[in-house]
Amino acid sequence: MADPLETLEVTSDDPDAVRDAYAARGWGDGLPLVAPTPQRVDAMLTGCEGDPDEPIATLPPRSGVATRRAIAVNAVLAGCRPEHMPVLVAAVWALTRPEVNLRGVNATTHPVAPLLIVHGEIARSGGYNAGLGAFGPGNAANAATGRALRLILLHVAGAGPGSGDASTQGGPAKYTYCVAENLGESPWGGYAASVGVTAPSAVTVHCGEAPHNVHDMESAGPAPILDKVASAMASLGSNNMPVSSGEFFVMLCPEHAAACAAAGWTRSHVASYLHERARMRTGDLRDAFALRAWAPWQEALDNDEPMPVTEHPGNIRIVVVGGPGKHSSVIPSWGMTRSATVPVGD
Amino acid sequence: MKIYAPEGAVGPPAACLAPSAPVLAGKRIGILDNSKPNAGLLLGRVAERLAARTGATVEIVERKNAALPAPDDVLARLAEAEVVLTGSAD
Repeated sequence: MADPLETLEVTSDDPDAVRDAYAARGWGDGLPLVAPTPQRVDAMLTGCEGDPDEPIATLPPRSGVATRRAIAVNAVLAGCRPEHMPVLVAAVWALTRPEVNLRGVNATTHPVAPLLIVHGEIARSGGYNAGLGAFGPGNAANAATGRALRLILLHVAGAGPGSGDASTQGGPAKYTYCVAENLGESPWGGYAASVGVTAPSAVTVHCGEAPHNVHDMESAGPAPILDKVASAMASLGSNNMPVSSGEFFVMLCPEHAAACAAAGWTRSHVASYLHERARMRTGDLRDAFALRAWAPWQEALDNDEPMPVTEHPGNIRIVVVGGPGKHSSVIPSWGMTRSATVPVGD
Repeated sequence: MKIYAPEGAVGPPAACLAPSAPVLAGKRIGILDNSKPNAGLLLGRVAERLAARTGATVEIVERKNAALPAPDDVLARLAEAEVVLTGSAD
């Protein structure tokens, strides 16, 4: 059992007063905060099972111990409801997977933020938005859960700007970054099952940039749509260029996904095509990056040969998100990190 | 009104710093070049001057990737030194 959480006295539970009391101690995200009274935190803990004070993760760089109670405090601050707690507990667990490299994610000068993708039954029961405007604003579950995860990183992990987070410019995705998968309109079934997680509910964390829009209203077939996706992936400023093991999350809108599926393309076909089409001249990449982490076979390419922007099609992850319209998005990664998908509730 | 603090406890550190050596003369100094831009240049010059001023033995150890934890072979080489310098960023 971890040490009990400390408390402080405030004169009011007004959200502005809590924000100011926290800010005086270097806490908070700058926005008004819901007062984490013991009563509210106890109510939040009804949303998950297990010992509230059992350490479930240690988060770098602070080596902060994340108990369910500490998670619940930050969930209250962010405006979550108890039904969001299982998502947060699973997300914290996912972030501690070694391949995520949370120490690097939190400490880098890059604007990386963990994108939290909610899959399956809990996306519905928790009220998460997978449809129109899924990346926000407007939905309480997406907004509050993403904000709570950031508050956990700020407070428990110690990833405050300047103290634990060296991000040069920061980024809007560092306020809240949570979306649900549109399972109902995915022609290929759920993403979590496609990576071997068959639980009814799951979460994925992908530590990457904010989404880059891909607009295609003209094309009926998959190739021209995906050529635009490939163009958005092939960006010389992305960390994926010098780090070939980095992943791309391609968030296809239902209409783009339907156009691909109608032509008989599977999720794997889409990834393979993007791997083939998202390429840059090897010499240009070599000139741009003295410091590279490429696969050995990539270093062997001649300067005039095209280089895929990631070393394997499996690094291109396809998820269906959004509502009516023809806008998809690409989310490059920080580079030295891998996504993690874990079940909720296990 | 009582409210919770949001940070939680700090877990045990994975490692802690050894006491600093009071005198560098005759010591083995390991320098970790983390491959960040100009790290080798900066730390190499530091190594030259330390060796000249103190008579210490200086070895530069290179790691290939600053974004991941140092691999075991790099840590093993550094462990042979009595003082280690590192810390170059972008």
